[in-house]
Amino acid sequence: MKRTFLVTTLACAGLLTATACSGSDSGGGSSDGPVTVTVMTWESAQTNAAINKALADFKDDNITVQLLDTPAGNFGDKLASLTQAKKLPDLFWCGNDTEQQYTSQGLLVDWTDKIKDGDGDFKADKFVPSAMENWKTADGQMGGLPSLMNTYGVWYNADAFTAAGVPVPKAGWTWDEMYAAAAKLAGKNGAKYGLVADQLTSLDGPFTMSMYSVSAGGAPFTDNVNHPTKAEADAKFTEGVQKLVDAIKSGSVSPPGYDAANVQSLFSAGKVPMMFGGQWLAAGFQTDKPKVKYGFAPFPQVDIPATLYDSVGICTPQYTKNQDATFKVLEYINTKVWDAVLPASPVAPPAYTPAQTSYFDALTKAQQPTVVDTVKADLAAEKTVGVRFTTQWAQQVGDLTTANYQPILSGKKPVSELPAYIDKINGLIKSAG
Amino acid sequence: MSRASRGGMSRNAGSDIKAAYLFIAPAIIGFTVFVVYPLVRSFYLALTKYNGLTDPIFVGLGNFRRLFTVDPAFWPSLRATGYLVVLYVPLSLILGLALAMFCNQRFAGVRVVRTLAYLPVVLPAIATITLWKFILDPQVGLLNAVLDRLGLPTSLWLQSPSMSMPAVVLVMLWGVGGTMIIFLAALQAVPNELYEAARVDGAGSWSVFFRITMPMISPIMLLQVILQTTAALQTFNQPKILTNGAPGFSTNVLMLSIYKNGFPNLGQIPQLGYASAQVWVLFVLIIAVIALTAKFSSLWTYSDNTPD
Repeated sequence: MKRTFLVTTLACAGLLTATACSGSDSGGGSSDGPVTVTVMTWESAQTNAAINKALADFKDDNITVQLLDTPAGNFGDKLASLTQAKKLPDLFWCGNDTEQQYTSQGLLVDWTDKIKDGDGDFKADKFVPSAMENWKTADGQMGGLPSLMNTYGVWYNADAFTAAGVPVPKAGWTWDEMYAAAAKLAGKNGAKYGLVADQLTSLDGPFTMSMYSVSAGGAPFTDNVNHPTKAEADAKFTEGVQKLVDAIKSGSVSPPGYDAANVQSLFSAGKVPMMFGGQWLAAGFQTDKPKVKYGFAPFPQVDIPATLYDSVGICTPQYTKNQDATFKVLEYINTKVWDAVLPASPVAPPAYTPAQTSYFDALTKAQQPTVVDTVKADLAAEKTVGVRFTTQWAQQVGDLTTANYQPILSGKKPVSELPAYIDKINGLIKSAG
Repeated sequence: MSRASRGGMSRNAGSDIKAAYLFIAPAIIGFTVFVVYPLVRSFYLALTKYNGLTDPIFVGLGNFRRLFTVDPAFWPSLRATGYLVVLYVPLSLILGLALAMFCNQRFAGVRVVRTLAYLPVVLPAIATITLWKFILDPQVGLLNAVLDRLGLPTSLWLQSPSMSMPAVVLVMLWGVGGTMIIFLAALQAVPNELYEAARVDGAGSWSVFFRITMPMISPIMLLQVILQTTAALQTFNQPKILTNGAPGFSTNVLMLSIYKNGFPNLGQIPQLGYASAQVWVLFVLIIAVIALTAKFSSLWTYSDNTPD
């Protein structure tokens, strides 16, 4: 009893301690005299070293840039504690969802005017348009700027395809061709499944399935991931779900619950012949050098190309002391730093389009032509869908997906249950206002 | 005794009381700061919408209403927790007792066996759980490789909705040495004369076990039931590392659900008020289970409290 009491109260204490910290906040605007702008990233030590080296070339007598030492693996915890303590650095790496949610809480500086009337080429129209659009909140604020794009596609083991007598994926291939290839590749050469598509079966699954319906001329799962008014599963979406259910049932596609934590290693070892994934894996493959011949293809389509992508960016807390100096450093990172960092580690194309050259040059030099082609095709795609809700209640949608959508994919519930799932999400959207 | 000496005693008693208060003050202060205050504060937060970033907004019983009527994760989490308790507690007690009885024998190398049985308890939990995750990997894991080599059926283990919880419990049982060591102490405290008398009376092994061993260690068994049940209700490490609650909600036990709401993934806003409400539900659940266990313990525990 005493132990229970103690443990429970310690759990409470843990929750409370995290919230009990408080720090001094300060007003925005600029100040005179030398200032220090702090930067925090989620990058690896190697990439941080390259960023630090590039930041050393930033020249402004009144501004010193300091890159904070942060373990990449604990970035989320670090960010949460610094947010609660009101001690966020002037510039910190953030996802689109963090930017949307923090901005809605009034925690971030709104850069809308600065980027609209920016200096020289550093203006809104030089960024990937959809990224800029996604970083706007419902009331038009921008609590940060997108920095790197995430594009997605299908990584394939060309050797496995050749051995199975299946043509390798290429732009314009269809969903039916993908499932047929998965069926032929499953159970061969140590591969359990022909296709591991965590993005189709995880909590983001319905959003990824939007590609099918949009490509077939149907409606996406939701009209807007940032400020949705509805969720929808039309006939085309339902058709896509049914095909996925059949593929999972046949054992050619990994089911919901498949642990994708090691899928990159398994792919490199030739035990996963085909997987959904982001372009950032290219940088890892460049270092790890898989034993198999591999390539990166755009997602399959029904009638017209459709893809999904999102972007990560850099945010600034509302209480930062030197907004002008911070914006200068932000501009420097977007316009100069990637040129120095991406050649060594081509993780993602910059959202600031003039800086994309260094990324594609690095990939071309590393002889990854399929990655170049697919990323370019994704960035140019007309039909795109968001990867997940960025709203404050996104986690509740995740629970609904676990309870309702994943059992449909597993065959535990019929596909006819889709409307009930959609109704629940629409109820959530409605109650959230 | 003179009045003066009584006065002297009184003064001494007064100073003793002050000293006593002084000695217990750190404990009282610690208890107040680290137990009472968090309890009160967490109960208040359970009645609010609080994300740790902005001020709490009082919502009354809204969090509890959402928990019991809206949240699709709550009831499955409760089921998963119950399943874990039902699976783990009896198995840990049976296995712990069996190991203790084995280690209570006299044979060459018994100390080595005891050490080996207890060794998993002192190894870093995170490291051993991570190793188990590799072992249970359905595609490249050791367990399936061995089963396959022996011609036995394999399983998806942690990735199977039906096998994930048994697999989690299997990993938890890796630390059964802790249960064993307490049972071993209890067994060694049973007076040897009782066994000798039983043997003289011609009692068999089962009879000795059920009529002497079990009654004599029943108070310790009660303690173990309470400790193991409490620990099982608060299980976190194994499901967090092995499955993070998947597949579906099959291993999404209450503590994990609380953690996910209070400390969500990067990019999501914490729901600390809601998580506090969940903490209170778990707290009440633990108290209820322990109270029930204690209430019915007299039916099966032996107590030598009969008056002379």
